Amino acid sequence: MLMEDLAQAAIEAALDGGATFADVRIENTVTTIIEMSDGVTKRSLASRLRGAGIRAFVDGAWAFGQTTDLTLKGMRDTGASLGRLAVATKSKVMERFDVDGPTFKDRVEYKVKTPFEDVSFEDKMAFTKMLDEQAKAFDSRIVNTRTIYGDLWTEMYVANSLGTSVWSETSLPRIISVSFAKDGTSRQRAFKSHGSRGGYEEMEKERPQKIGTESAEMAVNLLSSIAAKGGTYDVVMDPVLNGVMVHEAFGHACEADNWPAHTTVLEDKVGKSVGPEHLNLSDDPTMPGERGSFEYDAEGTRTRKRHLVKDGLLTDLLHTLETSVRLDMEPNGSARVQSFMYPPLARMSNTLMEPGDWDVDELIADTKDGILLCSFNYGYTDPSKGQFQFQASHGYLIEKGEIGQMVRDVSLAGQILEVLAKIDAIGKDFEMDAGTCGKGGQSVPDMSGGPHARIRSVPVGGM
Amino acid sequence: MKGEIIDIAEKTARRAEDLGADQVEVYMASSRSFSIDVENNAIKGASDKRDAGCGIRSVIGKSTGFAYVTTVLEADLIEAAEKSVKLAKASIEDPDFVSLPSSQSSYPKVEGLVDPAIQKLGSEDAADLIVRGVDAAQAALENHESAVEAKFSASTGLTVIVNSLGISSSAESTSTWMYVSPTIKDDEDQTSSYEFQLSRALKEIDPEWIGRSSAENALSNLGAKTVESGDMPLVLTPLAASAIIGGGFAGAINAEEVQYGRSYISDAFGEEIASEELYIVDDALLPGGVGSRPFDAEGVRAQKTEVLENGVLKSLLHNSYTANKDGVENTGNASRPSYSGVPSISASNFVVAPGKGSLEDVLSEVGKGVLCRFTGDRPNMATGDLSAMIMEGSYFENGEIQHSVKNTLVGINMRDLLRRVEMVGGDTRVALAIISPSIVISSAKITSG
Repeated sequence: MLMEDLAQAAIEAALDGGATFADVRIENTVTTIIEMSDGVTKRSLASRLRGAGIRAFVDGAWAFGQTTDLTLKGMRDTGASLGRLAVATKSKVMERFDVDGPTFKDRVEYKVKTPFEDVSFEDKMAFTKMLDEQAKAFDSRIVNTRTIYGDLWTEMYVANSLGTSVWSETSLPRIISVSFAKDGTSRQRAFKSHGSRGGYEEMEKERPQKIGTESAEMAVNLLSSIAAKGGTYDVVMDPVLNGVMVHEAFGHACEADNWPAHTTVLEDKVGKSVGPEHLNLSDDPTMPGERGSFEYDAEGTRTRKRHLVKDGLLTDLLHTLETSVRLDMEPNGSARVQSFMYPPLARMSNTLMEPGDWDVDELIADTKDGILLCSFNYGYTDPSKGQFQFQASHGYLIEKGEIGQMVRDVSLAGQILEVLAKIDAIGKDFEMDAGTCGKGGQSVPDMSGGPHARIRSVPVGGM
Repeated sequence: MKGEIIDIAEKTARRAEDLGADQVEVYMASSRSFSIDVENNAIKGASDKRDAGCGIRSVIGKSTGFAYVTTVLEADLIEAAEKSVKLAKASIEDPDFVSLPSSQSSYPKVEGLVDPAIQKLGSEDAADLIVRGVDAAQAALENHESAVEAKFSASTGLTVIVNSLGISSSAESTSTWMYVSPTIKDDEDQTSSYEFQLSRALKEIDPEWIGRSSAENALSNLGAKTVESGDMPLVLTPLAASAIIGGGFAGAINAEEVQYGRSYISDAFGEEIASEELYIVDDALLPGGVGSRPFDAEGVRAQKTEVLENGVLKSLLHNSYTANKDGVENTGNASRPSYSGVPSISASNFVVAPGKGSLEDVLSEVGKGVLCRFTGDRPNMATGDLSAMIMEGSYFENGEIQHSVKNTLVGINMRDLLRRVEMVGGDTRVALAIISPSIVISSAKITSG
């Protein structure tokens, strides 16, 4: 059965049931995950996700459901029942609005050199084992290694009652290396990952081929680190941590679903200054080869670059069709889903700080006493409180403008409305790192990054 | 329905055996969940999700492969069975693997896992419940500009586990939760908070309490200030204990992490690692517990396990692999994210035994310090170092709350935190990863600025 016909059956049934707008995502995803520890396979997993997510809408009320019964009857039944659910919900909504937006008809094939399905499980296993052994062989103090290979191929067809009909595909490889080092009573862990958009050929590039050594070396180096002393510091962030800062401290607060819900401290800031004039923050799903890139979003809207902060002003937000109507702003293709089992949410893609004009060495030399924070363990935020936190995996004290003692597990906390104003120097280098972002119980692949940058006087947690 | 699914599971297992698997396990789960969302004080949407899928674990010699599909259609199940066998053939054998679990003599009867009221709940009744929660929050915030977000969800599920060594188990369960989160704005100040209840029984959900408490929490967050940095007593409410102890200690006694030397607790088994005030059990048999079950995610009978007694670590949490590897009793802690993953290890109901007194009593006993009501942080599991932001919390003096805190971090190593537990309150509640009262840590490093 054609995806177009299946989607149309659900849409028509939802409209017949009383909905004024309906959309459908039909997904077919194939994944492989191979996890090895100390040279032994711990997990070898293959999966297929196949099903449809359907939404029906009327007068401000949404109904969402899913089905794996991809027959005309299955789609019609689910569409009709969601149409009825939307109508039943309608009497309880307070704000009435319509869903509207541009329509797209397209088919975007994503060409890769080596599709994942052309590579045998044995070859993927051998690659994972090579990296696991590479980490183990780095140093006798490496006591445990863990290597995870993952590939994901997805085709997604999106159609809606406005006339959108878009088929697109994507292909995402990822490799993760986690090394544990032990010396006497000191036990340390290091995590390194590499992710991009492409086929298996991406794993044959230089960095993924050496990621075992990269994580093992970091774990061994951490053995001689000390816990940072808590206090207020001038902080220089490396590109990876800077990306996490932009993502946690600002990106989430720009998701436009926060506006109708009144859950962001940026609510009154659109068009206004949120940081220094030399500050530019973007979210760009059109970057070639990046893990957070996609041509069309989960509502079938063509994506474009979002200049969230331009010359210090908050200029754009991350929109779904609904938020662009309710805020009267242009839709920009920010609706994402973890899979067909979830409704679309406004989300980030590749989030970054644009480079500035500082030479990195000069930036560090200019920081008399401070701390250089690198890479990350995790971060989180609550845009309604305006508070965020993120944790660097390691860092170095900066003493008299020179990099000194290595420190570890350093957390940085701050206020969304305060932190950007404290950024006084932005480097001219640039790097992105792979991540996974969680919101509303859904995880999606993303990237974040930027140049080195300095934040003056922020609280850093220590032991 | 149940008989039909067991038949499909057994047929799929035989198919994998025909393809060359020595041992096979088929895990099938089906669920239906209904939820309602509230945005800015009013209902905005509803979802009605039905999910059914199957995960197949095939073993050849000491090598394992796993595949899952999001349907229970025959063609998809056959494809998954084939893939799991292929993956087992391609895997590098694990010398420590002994066997999948074998048939269980019997399963314990656990009370309160299914609530017929949830199975019968209609969308109108669900809408009434969540509106009551939102109204209660708004009533408590009538003098403030506020926007309430909320969610209510009710699910019913069926889990079937069949393996080629004779395990054949099935269990139904229900669960429900309600979450209310108001954001409030005053002239110069904006903040938010939340409250929730999670249960297997609908009657345990008290919408008015959730709404009112979420509003009181949000009001107490207004006027946040920094505090003077230094070492001082730290009080963890049950929600904070859920992240720090439920996440940060239950995760550290996961036998797999300990066996690989990845846990800060690795060298401490059988030692006195915690204060005598702390008594912890993992109780999968707790009547009506949100983590309760007759069998774990491999079909092994569930049990109650003493974890910490008189400060001594009594047991790790095991699944069949780690128990076989250590040659110890399997504690039945295999867990998996429904049909879509291989078994790992997690706590069932991680229960901290209560002491005495309300939170107010605890604060007045402690006198001065920092109260952490909620953090999203957890420790570095290798080092035990915890550097956590107080997402919601307060500074207190003379047993009285003075003001809420912002830009404030707690630093302490988990080994010190466990030893410095000097008091446990009597205010037990169910949080996400723990059932616990408030816990007092005698001293932690507070950084604020």
